[in-house]
Amino acid sequence: MSAVLLVRLKIPDLTALTALDAGRALVPEGYELTRLVREELYLFEPSPGADPAGFEPSIAKQVETSNFFVNPNKEGYRFLRSGERGPVWDPPEGSWGILARSRGDTRDAGLVERLMREHPLRGLGSIRRGRVWWLKTRSRQGDDGARVGYAALGPVVDAGHGLLVNPHSEAALRLEGATAWSRIEAFLAEPAPAVEREPSRI
Amino acid sequence: MARAAVIQIPGVNCEYESARALERAGIEAVIVRFNEPASVLSEFDAYLLPGGFAFQDRIRAGAVAAKLPAVERIAAEAERGKPVLGICNGAQVLVEAGLVPGIRPGRVELALAPNRAPRRQGYLCRWVWVRAGEGPGRGTYAASLPSGAVAPLPIAHGEGRFETADPDVLRAIESEGLALFRYVAQDGSPARGYPDDPNGAMLQAAGITNRAGNVLAFMPHPERAAVLKHVQLDLPGPWGEARRSGAESYEALEGPGPGAFLFSSLAARLGVAAAPARSRVR
Repeated sequence: MSAVLLVRLKIPDLTALTALDAGRALVPEGYELTRLVREELYLFEPSPGADPAGFEPSIAKQVETSNFFVNPNKEGYRFLRSGERGPVWDPPEGSWGILARSRGDTRDAGLVERLMREHPLRGLGSIRRGRVWWLKTRSRQGDDGARVGYAALGPVVDAGHGLLVNPHSEAALRLEGATAWSRIEAFLAEPAPAVEREPSRI
Repeated sequence: MARAAVIQIPGVNCEYESARALERAGIEAVIVRFNEPASVLSEFDAYLLPGGFAFQDRIRAGAVAAKLPAVERIAAEAERGKPVLGICNGAQVLVEAGLVPGIRPGRVELALAPNRAPRRQGYLCRWVWVRAGEGPGRGTYAASLPSGAVAPLPIAHGEGRFETADPDVLRAIESEGLALFRYVAQDGSPARGYPDDPNGAMLQAAGITNRAGNVLAFMPHPERAAVLKHVQLDLPGPWGEARRSGAESYEALEGPGPGAFLFSSLAARLGVAAAPARSRVR
């Protein structure tokens, strides 16, 4: 179990607005993309044998009182302690999500090194990084359009399909409905799954 | 006279020096805004997507620009065999649009991922050495670079690591010579880690072509080394020597630099006689 920090801009997010604009051109006829929000995700893992309860209050304090993770002038955040976040992660109402991570090691050693230099903490092992895109789509038939939306806006396949994730450098997990935190942690911590591809025609 | 379109997308910042480099090689260069009617592009013989930060690199470098109608038209012209050169951010656009390597035509088969080097993160500006191999793009982009020659060129990128998650694509790139340009050590030996290999790219690739060899995604900036005066004074090797010994000579400083080979190769491919024109781009 690991603590999670989610950070998003509270000023207009021009990257998300650009993604919304580009994404609207990609959703197929009969579907509509109405909202797109970007959040940065940090997963705080304890060092082996350490008790998360030992460092999570310190992390929470740093998040709240320093601008190391969050610039309060422009960003808002949610800090979810491991013991309090519940077993599942629910998307914002009416939304579904795409959680993206690097295909390489998701641990940000440089960030930990800088954190330890500026705000020494005991018991913190690593910080894993991910990015969440929350989307609201709908179809004329009234469904949430998540499956079609993921195909149109998720991992890039060609110039006309996919936008938010390049599957050759990133892996993606579709977040639809309540998702177990254990699945989120495994997705971020385990090696990235093989890229999906058509049968070889090379 | 051969004419090349240099595509000006919001956020790019190398369109003028790229156009000048083309004109020095004798190619008429026209800067074309991204939102001109795409049909305008068909009038050109070649295309250059310059470096910079198209759409501020929002979402991912090159990701938004890759969806432009102009890029779609350039892809169609590339299908007809016209040369398309993407430099740095332009390379990222070509990769995101699936124009290189084109193993499965139209599919996005590569990424230009964040640089990876031990204990280094982020944007990197420095001079590197590259060497051209044998591959389908050699005739278009490296014909005037002597075989085995090493060219010093500047790089400036945060996401320059060619990567694919598809082992079949990697095999095809390697076996077919599509990684036309590779980072090497100054003496031409293989790059073994940073700084000779500046970003951890697969196959130490600095530039990858499509199978036909007419589309090149190239991460270094040859337009920033197109004339001798561009070479930094303390660069080691023969180009640095030439820069230092030519410091007092206007003619020498205005002569070809180590990046000129790429534009002169392209000019030869387009049938331009080897008589460099003075740039008319201001």
